Amino acid sequence: MSTEDRVKKRDEALEARMDVLVSYVLLTGVVTSVILVILGLAWHWLNTGRLGVDYRISGMNLFEFVIDNLRQVTSAEVRPRLLVSLGIAALMLTPYVRVLASLLFFAFAEHNRKYVVFTGFVLSVLTFSLFLR
Amino acid sequence: MLVGSLVFESREAAERMSFELLIVVSIVAGFIGAMSGMGGGVVLIPAMTLLGMNIKEAIAISIVSVIATSSGSASAYVRDRITNLKVGMFLEMFTIMGALVGATITLSTGNNILFFLFGAVLLFSWFALFLQRHEVWRAYAWQDRFSRWLQLEGSYYDQPTAQTIHYHAVRAYFGGPLMFGAGLVAGMLGIGAGALKVLIHDLVMGLPPKVSTTTSNLIIGVTALAGTSVYLAAGVIDPGLVAPVMLGILLGAFAGTRVLVRLRNETVRQFFLVVLLVLGVEMLLRGLGVGL
Repeated sequence: MSTEDRVKKRDEALEARMDVLVSYVLLTGVVTSVILVILGLAWHWLNTGRLGVDYRISGMNLFEFVIDNLRQVTSAEVRPRLLVSLGIAALMLTPYVRVLASLLFFAFAEHNRKYVVFTGFVLSVLTFSLFLR
Repeated sequence: MLVGSLVFESREAAERMSFELLIVVSIVAGFIGAMSGMGGGVVLIPAMTLLGMNIKEAIAISIVSVIATSSGSASAYVRDRITNLKVGMFLEMFTIMGALVGATITLSTGNNILFFLFGAVLLFSWFALFLQRHEVWRAYAWQDRFSRWLQLEGSYYDQPTAQTIHYHAVRAYFGGPLMFGAGLVAGMLGIGAGALKVLIHDLVMGLPPKVSTTTSNLIIGVTALAGTSVYLAAGVIDPGLVAPVMLGILLGAFAGTRVLVRLRNETVRQFFLVVLLVLGVEMLLRGLGVGL
């Protein structure tokens, strides 16, 4: 087997591992989000007998959104909502973590400088947008 | 449709929209979205506005659930090893910038303009897909230096034909900037804009249809996140409505993904055409003030 072939084979194996990693990140994020939202809705239903949760938030970024909900955790009425909010937060963080995982992979497994730069750019812009006000 | 002019009176309208109805509409939208690679929003937004929701609120709710659809089905596609992650990463640089700009524009735009644009984007996608309906994908014999430098190539196993298909992307220098436009549309209209992304992948970058739909699915999640941040910051997102829509759309998308892997390319394409045409005409007419 030539060196070139061996390099190609190694790259393919790495890419396969990356696909599995990305797949799990996405699946975990979505499943976590769904579980939180369902639990929140079920809790709300048990409390009130209604399926629909009714609340609106004022303009805030993801972190303020979560903190605002956590602050109200002492109020029993609000607790189901908190789970729904955390579910939505988990959903928003899913693509973010996927990009982060890709960055770590390109940096430490594939040592692909080009794609570290590309992925780093995407991650920076997303971080900025999550802190938007 | 006068509903569009009752800006943000939609809260009451939305309350009349039952949890159960939202779930059903979302399941259908999710199924079609995953099957076509368009994302659920293309069906969801017209349906929710027909049921009386304000279009900006529908856009904001839709774009959150687009993250769910995209991530859910992308997870399955990536594991099936059809998605091209490098093509995705490269193009995401352009789509997220577009989405940030697009969502910002929507917040200060009139509802009729949004209806009109929604219809126009759908019909444009329809026209472009219709034109290339009979073309069967063939691998490009050449690759430009920039696309080669970007390492945009790959292979996948095609279930229906039982073959491993090798391919490489071309014209990435056009594909990138065009994807900014696709991201702009996605952020503005709260859709994945998968149809546009697929078009760019197919026509400009020469990717096989299955790679283009699945890779577009991956890109959509990140793009939708950028748009969602803008709508969240503006306070347009109602978590109480996001919850049922997101669950319904995921359920539908889960079913849709299972079907897509077993279908041949031409079946998927023909399905696109009918859905896009009906929804496009309907939204365009509403943008022009013609009630249906």
